[in-house]
Amino acid sequence: MMAEKKKATTKKTTSKKEDTKKVAPVKQEVKKQAPAAVSSTTQQGDARIGVFICHCGTNIAGSMDIEAVQESSKAIPHVAYVDNYKYMCSMPGQTVIHKAIKDHKLTGVVVAACTPRLHEPTFRTATKDGGLNPFRFEMANIRDQNSWVHMHDRVGSTDKAIDAIKIAVAKAALLQDLFPKSVPVEKAAMVVGAGVAGMQASLDLAAAGIKTYLVEADTSIGGRMSQLDKTFPTLDCSQCILTPKMVDVGRDTNIELYTYSEVHEVEGYIGNFDVTIRKKARGVMTPKEAEAKGIVGGGCNGCGDCETACPVVKPNMFEVGMKPRKAIYINHPQVVPLIYTIDFNSCVKCGICVTACGPEKRAIDLEMKDEFIKVKVGTAILATGYDIFPIEKKEEWGYKRYENVITSLEFERLICASGPTGGHLVRPSDGQTPKRVAFVLCAGSRDNTGTGKPYCSRFCCMYSLKHAHQIIEKIPGCIPYLFYMDIRSFGKMYEEFYYRIQDEGAKFIRGRVANILEDKKTKNLHVMTDDTLLDRPVDMEVDMVVLASAVQPSADTNRTRKLFGVSCSMDGWLLEAHPKLNPCGTTTAGVFLAGVCQGPKDIPDTVASAEGAASAASIPIHKGEVELEPYFATCIEEKCAGCGMCVNLCPYSALSLVEKDGRQVMQVTEAKCKGCGTCGGFCPGGAIWMNHFTTPQIVAQIDAFLLGGEQ
Amino acid sequence: MSESGAKHKFAFYLGCIAPNRYPGVESASIKAMKKLGVELVPLKGASCCPAPGAFGSIDLNVFYAMAARNLVLAEQMKMDIALVCNGCYKSIWEVNHKLKHNKDLRDNVNEVLKEVDMEYKGTINVYHTAELLYNDRFIGVDKVRDSVTNPLTGARIAVHYGCHLVKPHKDREFEKEVMLNTEHPTWMEELVSALGATPVEYRNKMQCCGAGGGVRGYDIVHALDITNEKLINLQEEKVDALTDICPFCQLQFDRGQIEIQEKFGVKYDLPVLHFAELLGLAQGMSPQDLGLDLHGISCEPFLQKVL
Repeated sequence: MMAEKKKATTKKTTSKKEDTKKVAPVKQEVKKQAPAAVSSTTQQGDARIGVFICHCGTNIAGSMDIEAVQESSKAIPHVAYVDNYKYMCSMPGQTVIHKAIKDHKLTGVVVAACTPRLHEPTFRTATKDGGLNPFRFEMANIRDQNSWVHMHDRVGSTDKAIDAIKIAVAKAALLQDLFPKSVPVEKAAMVVGAGVAGMQASLDLAAAGIKTYLVEADTSIGGRMSQLDKTFPTLDCSQCILTPKMVDVGRDTNIELYTYSEVHEVEGYIGNFDVTIRKKARGVMTPKEAEAKGIVGGGCNGCGDCETACPVVKPNMFEVGMKPRKAIYINHPQVVPLIYTIDFNSCVKCGICVTACGPEKRAIDLEMKDEFIKVKVGTAILATGYDIFPIEKKEEWGYKRYENVITSLEFERLICASGPTGGHLVRPSDGQTPKRVAFVLCAGSRDNTGTGKPYCSRFCCMYSLKHAHQIIEKIPGCIPYLFYMDIRSFGKMYEEFYYRIQDEGAKFIRGRVANILEDKKTKNLHVMTDDTLLDRPVDMEVDMVVLASAVQPSADTNRTRKLFGVSCSMDGWLLEAHPKLNPCGTTTAGVFLAGVCQGPKDIPDTVASAEGAASAASIPIHKGEVELEPYFATCIEEKCAGCGMCVNLCPYSALSLVEKDGRQVMQVTEAKCKGCGTCGGFCPGGAIWMNHFTTPQIVAQIDAFLLGGEQ
Repeated sequence: MSESGAKHKFAFYLGCIAPNRYPGVESASIKAMKKLGVELVPLKGASCCPAPGAFGSIDLNVFYAMAARNLVLAEQMKMDIALVCNGCYKSIWEVNHKLKHNKDLRDNVNEVLKEVDMEYKGTINVYHTAELLYNDRFIGVDKVRDSVTNPLTGARIAVHYGCHLVKPHKDREFEKEVMLNTEHPTWMEELVSALGATPVEYRNKMQCCGAGGGVRGYDIVHALDITNEKLINLQEEKVDALTDICPFCQLQFDRGQIEIQEKFGVKYDLPVLHFAELLGLAQGMSPQDLGLDLHGISCEPFLQKVL
């Protein structure tokens, strides 16, 4: 099976390095691609593999017999050296590796430790420092997939570790030198979602001189923050601090803004994403678009004549449905961009707006169709934000059954001067000013009943404190009652704000609200709970209840993340590459996360994460090129029959048939190939060689496991 | 589930209060369900479920073993169990569920059952008749509606769901299959409508009857206080009758009204009928066949309205 590439030229690599490598610079191996299948530097026969077993403190050593693993490893064919160390990833640990490579003339390295996801780069570097090609390294996962899962089975985990090492050694003995390829990076980025996260990320990228395409599903930018009245703990007006940023985004020449648009298709890879934007038909032309159609001086100037004339009335969702809007509308007076939009689902195409708009502007096109725009970007940031959890699912609180039970977002609009009531908090049932307002915290958050969300939504405690303050400030004599589990005021100046609200007279009752009952006549509400500090049941009559509803990923998050190949957690929040050390990155190279789409965040954390994502997304662009893992498929042309089956199978359109020496052979576009192995596994003639996952390597691994290393 | 003449066949577990206090529940269930294609075969030799509050709070081993014995009887008949009481549902459904998923517990229980030459195998399921009626997989609301010959037109009927059938939400499989939530369910109201009556919503519908969890046995006045609050809320809506799916709740609302009159001096005279009794009436069974004369509170005013 492995006979075909036994032309071992192994020794060369090792001994040559012996003298030169010490200060071996990084660039050194980006030489030319070695056509792996042919000039294979296969070791096998004279392979000398070093096995390095990591204790990971007690993570591994606490659950298995390291000595036994070490002794058994020595007996594995090709193993020339075995060592163990408390933390293999530490500097001394890495030194053990590169010293052993030189001292024992090793041709390959196996580290039995955690996962390649965590430390493959570390140990590849160590392997390189020892003078070997970094791809002569193989990892045996004896922690995440062994000691952590078999914590109480010492014998079993020891045996499993030995098996894992046997398998890794079998592959390591066949590993070949590989050379990463560099591809140029397009000097442009995409940001999906123009809430405060997306806006901040775009502004940062633009300021760094990067052309940025900002795609927003809504008709205007600003996101959730533009719906808020004030922000905690500073109590500055949300719109006041947000609108300057909105204007900057609208004005920045490096930012190309696509509102009422969505990402339709994504192709390519880091450095070269081809993204198709679907620009939904908004029925109204910007001055630019009008000019392009030959209507000079025309297009929407936001005068609103069309809106006044429109006969169709619909609920305004920016005001959480508490205010009407027309079929042609803007979200609020400060929108960016100031361009009207026709909601074609409710438009009756009566044409009155066209007349109202007049013959000069001619901004309205009732027959407008969706447009598809293709752009090329090097990196992308997802900032798709959140929606409010449909709190009517928590039936015990009667939202949508009782008129005077509202959500916090509705409260924000009611208390906001630009909101539907001009900033007067009133009861929906009778328009009266409430005197007693209950706030239900953790409404649907930290909820293990299966109906709500298990996580903490993180900003509800703080905005509810702010709401309490606003009530006390605006309605003399009105008392806010906060029903809470515990107040999580963790941020800078947050705890101080909590004390301030206590001093202002807000009442705090520690207890989860079990039930809310409505008095049929007065429409007052009875909040039923258990005061867990006083240990007594509570039945409190209030005029109004505000539910601090949990948040969940926005509706389109799942579709968008799939386009970019980003994973999500069980709750649907997008998954970062590492929760602590790579919070903005994803496992898809070149795609980053900003803001709440990754998990609930308040505004300061959202902006910080956006700046982090922008910085991370600009690095490959500024470097100008990225290295691709050399895991692509290679065609062994002598064996290829040119049948073309693989071409159709490839999910990345990386393969094609070309004419060579008068016959058809397959050719791989290496930059497009992701090394998935679909073609290699299928090829009837065995003519496709998967770098780093070759058939001989995989067969050797299987043999090692089934035959215990005897081959 | 076995199939023979009837479309579905179940081992019918009676419990204690239904056969002793409200025999109409038993007869109505058997007869009405038969018309809907479900045959209820008596589960011979069954013991107390055992009562979840009384036994479950004191000795879980006894609780598990007794419930498991009832389950084994049905396993031997090769039939799923159907029952008419929320309390029985809690004991028998839940023990079945636990034993199926917990090997240690199953081994312990089988150790005890060995003394009576029995072994729990986990081969059957447990259903409440209310869930058979509502779930299209067995009967469904439409079939219930089609079976009505004497619609209860004009009657305002409120529903008491009781606790153990729907809660705890996390563990129950029934509602995951047919509905979304347990805090303000309305599926029983659909069944009431199917009988031609008008379902009535009332304040704090999901409140306990007052009896459960051993409260009635431990502190009768406290229990009646809770019942009284529910009766006040029901009276406000001027209902003609209250329907339930649990004989223990029925006992508390029915006989409880007499006790409330004695202890608090308030009189409600609200007829309380198990849904099986209502269904029997709507299918044309006579009040005598249903033993409605055995109720503590006279059903006469209600019967006059619907018959």
